[in-house]
Amino acid sequence: MSETKIIDARDTFCPGPLMELIMYMKQAKVGDELELLSTDKGSAADIPEWIKKVGHDMVSIEKIEETWHLKVRKAK
Amino acid sequence: MRILVVGGGTAGTIVANNLARRLSAETRSGKVRLTMLSASDRHMYQPGLLYVAFGQMTPDQLYRDQASLLEASIDFHVDPVKQFQLDQNKVVTESGKVHEYDILVIATGSRMVPEETPGLNEGAEFFYTEASAVKMYKRLREFQGGRVAVAVGVPHKCPIAPVEVMFALHDFFKARGIRDKVQLKYYYPIGRIHTIENVAIWAKPEFDRLGIEYETLFNIKEVDAKNKILKSEEGIDVEYDLLVVIPQHRGMEVIERDNLGQGGWIPTNRYSLTMNGHDNVYVVGDTTNLPVSKTGSAAHFQAEVISENIASIIKVGEPVRDYDGKVYCFIEAGHDRATYAMFNYLNPPDLKPPSKPMHWFKVAYNQMYWTSVRGLL
Amino acid sequence: MTTQTETPPTTTVNNDDLQRLVEFAQLVTSAQDAMSDDIVTRLARVMNEGVTLLDRLTRNEGLMTLLRVLDQPESQRLLIGLAEALRETSRDIATTPPAKGSLIELLRAVFHPGTQEGIRILTFLGQHLNHSLREQHRRGS
Repeated sequence: MSETKIIDARDTFCPGPLMELIMYMKQAKVGDELELLSTDKGSAADIPEWIKKVGHDMVSIEKIEETWHLKVRKAK
Repeated sequence: MRILVVGGGTAGTIVANNLARRLSAETRSGKVRLTMLSASDRHMYQPGLLYVAFGQMTPDQLYRDQASLLEASIDFHVDPVKQFQLDQNKVVTESGKVHEYDILVIATGSRMVPEETPGLNEGAEFFYTEASAVKMYKRLREFQGGRVAVAVGVPHKCPIAPVEVMFALHDFFKARGIRDKVQLKYYYPIGRIHTIENVAIWAKPEFDRLGIEYETLFNIKEVDAKNKILKSEEGIDVEYDLLVVIPQHRGMEVIERDNLGQGGWIPTNRYSLTMNGHDNVYVVGDTTNLPVSKTGSAAHFQAEVISENIASIIKVGEPVRDYDGKVYCFIEAGHDRATYAMFNYLNPPDLKPPSKPMHWFKVAYNQMYWTSVRGLL
Repeated sequence: MTTQTETPPTTTVNNDDLQRLVEFAQLVTSAQDAMSDDIVTRLARVMNEGVTLLDRLTRNEGLMTLLRVLDQPESQRLLIGLAEALRETSRDIATTPPAKGSLIELLRAVFHPGTQEGIRILTFLGQHLNHSLREQHRRGS
């Protein structure tokens, strides 16, 4: 079981949390889990949207204090 | 005190020149030695590549002799690093020379890797190198009409390029009198037309006004160059007559080979800009893994912070500044008008309406760049 | 008894001022229209090369020292003297027949007050220049 990779995209506007996730997903292997940290509230909507469209797994979304924690799994 | 700067691009040149100025007394007395290693004897102004792709600049105008940009106290060698041995505080170059250092600055930059996407090299035009930009200009000149598709890979340097190239294509075909024969369509990987929300909000009505179509949530998978079909991860097939792609990028090969960072992106502290796990190694510019725009302006602001900190560490033993995430990007909006996006870790960009004076500022900056890499601006 | 109420001073927009504002705006517009990318590029290039050159000159310690010394009154006198001497010399040379190259002429030149003055000024120059060079070397620059 591989470790969850944590991507800290808090307080960033460009490239932004979703772009960072896309980049790390490319580097990941199928089955890897990634956890993205974001302070951008739009991420809570646009990341699940992207995950669904491309065909990966949305594991969980949690908001802890001011940060969203989005866990995803590379499915293909 | 031996300071070694690896990489002669924007970031490396500014760090080296700033250090040479701040530590002029120390370099003169021999207390500090400044060395720079680069893969090239020339310095390229990369934003000029977009101009070359549209015939507004000739390739020779992109370059200056690197040595002519450097302070005299910098020991400069065109001899790229073959191997980093960070645990021994030294690097080995292509020519076999060993450079030991007390402080290392890695500024090796990033490169496009279209070959990682099947069919991309064969089917698409790019403008991220001199050769590809010249080739693209020739294709644009001979294009008589049809479907032009512009797609974007992740990650890439110069985040604003996709939007700028759309406006440039529109103006180009309009000037050639064939805009009505060209269908311009833009494909972007996330759910809006640009990653910066305010840019997406501003650009959408502009695209509508200029008749530029767009499709979001489009991630490039491969290109069938023979049949001219662009295919996405989402299962969409796009037929095109001319395909322009901003390809995905990687850091330099040596960074990956020596396990300094996956993808060539070195894990870096977002404030001190030191490499994770190595306090005497600074990372600057495109090659960091920071979630910060890969642009010349970020490289410039990071370089200022690093050179100030290294100088103060040498003079008083402590760093004095943090990088605040600052980025400042011109946005050429077509029709000789431009605006800009400025932001940092805490403040989002707030776009002003494009204006002619801002366009001239960008035109002037094309010249000011050379003064700024000398450490004068 | 009549009471006189003072009418407050009227603030009117001066038509002249409006006219000037309009003309200024027209000037700005026409300047904008006249500007081209090429003009901006050329101007910016010249300005930036100028900045680079100035930076190099102002950081040239020798040049800056020379300028400081040349500013001093004694140096002014030397420069003025040199300028006047050049003028007189060119006149004298132009009106003096060419040297024949004989020993007698050489001897005559040796005893000429101008020759001895010339040697003397060179002596002073040589002495001070050598002293300054040795001093700088001693100070370790």
